[in-house]
Amino acid sequence: MSRSVWKGPFVDSYVLKKAEAARESGRNEVIKIWSRRSTILPQFVGLTFGVYNGQKHIPVNVSEDMIGQKFGEYSPTRTYYGHAADKKAKRK
Amino acid sequence: MSDEKTCVGAIAGAYGVNGELRIKSYCARAEDIETYAPLSDESGSRHFHLALIRPIKNGFAARITEVSTKEQADALKGTQLYARRDQLPSLADDEFYYADLIGLAVYDSGGVRLGQVKSVQNHGAADLLELQLGTSATTALLPFTQATVPLVDLAAGRIIVDPPEGAL
Repeated sequence: MSRSVWKGPFVDSYVLKKAEAARESGRNEVIKIWSRRSTILPQFVGLTFGVYNGQKHIPVNVSEDMIGQKFGEYSPTRTYYGHAADKKAKRK
Repeated sequence: MSDEKTCVGAIAGAYGVNGELRIKSYCARAEDIETYAPLSDESGSRHFHLALIRPIKNGFAARITEVSTKEQADALKGTQLYARRDQLPSLADDEFYYADLIGLAVYDSGGVRLGQVKSVQNHGAADLLELQLGTSATTALLPFTQATVPLVDLAAGRIIVDPPEGAL
């Protein structure tokens, strides 16, 4: 069952505080968070969060397309390297 | 660079009894493996002209010109298939093959060597460089962005990074 709309999106309060502090400071930093369950809000766009995966903090650059998802979706808890083959990386 | 090779797939065994093979593709678009033919084995001594027949579970059924019997196909089981680096299509600016980035030396903006690129990952947000720091097993992840990685010099085999606070 999906979450009731009247409750609004869930975000751990410390994530909001850290994001606000980072935005005000204007520094280029990774905001370390442990809250994988928090929803990505529009005010997080442009910030970089280090989302804990149980072992380390995975950097997640928040973009507009990610709004409404949970942070944990971008920080997998299992590692699979695979083969490089012809895979491409784009520098944004 | 032309004699560099990259592993694009593997032969998983025979498929059926008519000399067809079961092929695993590691390519971003699995069917692209056919476009890199002729492929070679790891040593480069054998070349394979590969033609995909149809997709099957976990790969493709394929035919190789030099293989006509099940016994020949079974003998190739486990063979890794390599494409020459110059067979891969050229890329736009700011696009790089994972294979080119892996192994590059990593320097900070002050010229201090930090380590080397161990792998490139993408978990859905953006591409990440996994750096092996120094000689230890410790790794760190950096977003592959203009701000964090201002210079990629493939010719010199190095990248310059400006890591955000708390990233290393």
